[in-house]
Amino acid sequence: MLSPPNVVTAERRRRFEELYAAHKVPLLGYTLRRTDNTDDAADALAETFLTAWRRLDQIPPGPQARLWLYGTARRVLANQRRGERRRLALADRLKAELAVSYRPQEQAGELADIAVALRKIPESDRELLALSAWEGLDAGQIATVLGCSRNAARIRLHRARRRFAAELSQCAAAPARYTNATNGVHP
Amino acid sequence: MNPISQIVPVTDAEAAGLAQADAFAALADEITSTAPADARLQRTARPRQRHRVRRSVLVGVPVAACLAVAGLITTSLGTPGQRIGPVAVGPAKAQAAVLSVSRHGGYLDVIVRNPDADPKRYRAEFAKYHLNISLRLVPASPSIVGSVVYASYPARDASQIRPITALGKCFTGGGGNVCPVGVRVALRFRGAATLVFARAARPGERYESAGQATAPGEAMHGLRFVGKTVATVLAMLARRGVTVPQWRVQRTNGCLTVSRHTVPRSWYVYQAVPWAPGQVLLWASSTWPAGTCTPSAGQPVASPSPSPSGA
Repeated sequence: MLSPPNVVTAERRRRFEELYAAHKVPLLGYTLRRTDNTDDAADALAETFLTAWRRLDQIPPGPQARLWLYGTARRVLANQRRGERRRLALADRLKAELAVSYRPQEQAGELADIAVALRKIPESDRELLALSAWEGLDAGQIATVLGCSRNAARIRLHRARRRFAAELSQCAAAPARYTNATNGVHP
Repeated sequence: MNPISQIVPVTDAEAAGLAQADAFAALADEITSTAPADARLQRTARPRQRHRVRRSVLVGVPVAACLAVAGLITTSLGTPGQRIGPVAVGPAKAQAAVLSVSRHGGYLDVIVRNPDADPKRYRAEFAKYHLNISLRLVPASPSIVGSVVYASYPARDASQIRPITALGKCFTGGGGNVCPVGVRVALRFRGAATLVFARAARPGERYESAGQATAPGEAMHGLRFVGKTVATVLAMLARRGVTVPQWRVQRTNGCLTVSRHTVPRSWYVYQAVPWAPGQVLLWASSTWPAGTCTPSAGQPVASPSPSPSGA
């Protein structure tokens, strides 16, 4: 009655466990850095690895795997932002622990300006800059995450930095204007 | 210094300390214990179907898995504040004595009655209401028989499929007994859904979904085995006629689990998972306590040549 593909092979589980062990923490970091609450971050982490579990054969080996996971997490988060929040009965324990343990950095003064400027630029720019600054990726790796050419990533990164710098100079020039905007929002 | 680097909300190093290894492991268990039904689509897909298949894979969302050590809160499927408790179900139709499919206004309730059902008859029932619902029954260990172990449907239709839970119909991995025993589907639902129910395994049939090995009804119900030696646990099992077809041993470098047919009798047992009627998988370690990684329990894994007994 059961179709053979529904049998989970030991090899498949082993491959997933290797992938999960190597990348779960950076992926949690990635999702936490891009969400306003820990439940969303845990849901995104769960859905990213759920996708990985189902598409194990498509995941490239070695360090490229993390880029594949970042790209998947990025799409999952984009769906979340569009309101297509999945009702995952997963990661409940992780959610419970994160809700207690996680307190995002609160920025003040000059750092608050940076946070405000980062929020004001387009999301696509913000993601490019974050992949570079927070995940430490170079243009080639960013290109893999975003699914574009290395050259395109380099150019887009350059433009994003320019727009961010312009925004930051405005913020720095008139910090009082942004005080309210930073209340209660995580960078 | 890149100014954006200075405002990183949380570093990877900090993220590593935000949750216990057990919480991470529980998520891995939950994920790997979802039946990879969608893998079937990948495997049978022809290249020209790639786009359609990929989308099929992406829309699948497991909403309930009553498996392993996961400790799922199945009621999280409800809306915040919504009370999901024991449900009263309408009279089952005579021809649906195994799985009740009954209409309630604009909804269809699908509830497991007798988990040994032949799902074919329900396809006709769904088709009558123009519902594209694929239903499967998988062999499962006794404590979760009769519950929904997996469901997937398009995210946009989440409001049209709700779980029906009942108390005491199964024992979840977390030790609870609020169980997803069915789903309520809106008749206006036009997406494609897959529902997987747990049924009793036949003699010799391997479980596709498993509950806790010590839960009521399971082969190791009530046994205190964690931290005991392999020799002691095997003796306990022998008294019940329970065998160990395979062992799981964690590699020292990380959380990888490898299979073995035997382990030294002086080792320590720290985890068990139902494997088939009268059979359990055991995890053993040369040392006690057995390290920080929670073993990957979940559903039993296939093995090319299981041996009939332990050490």
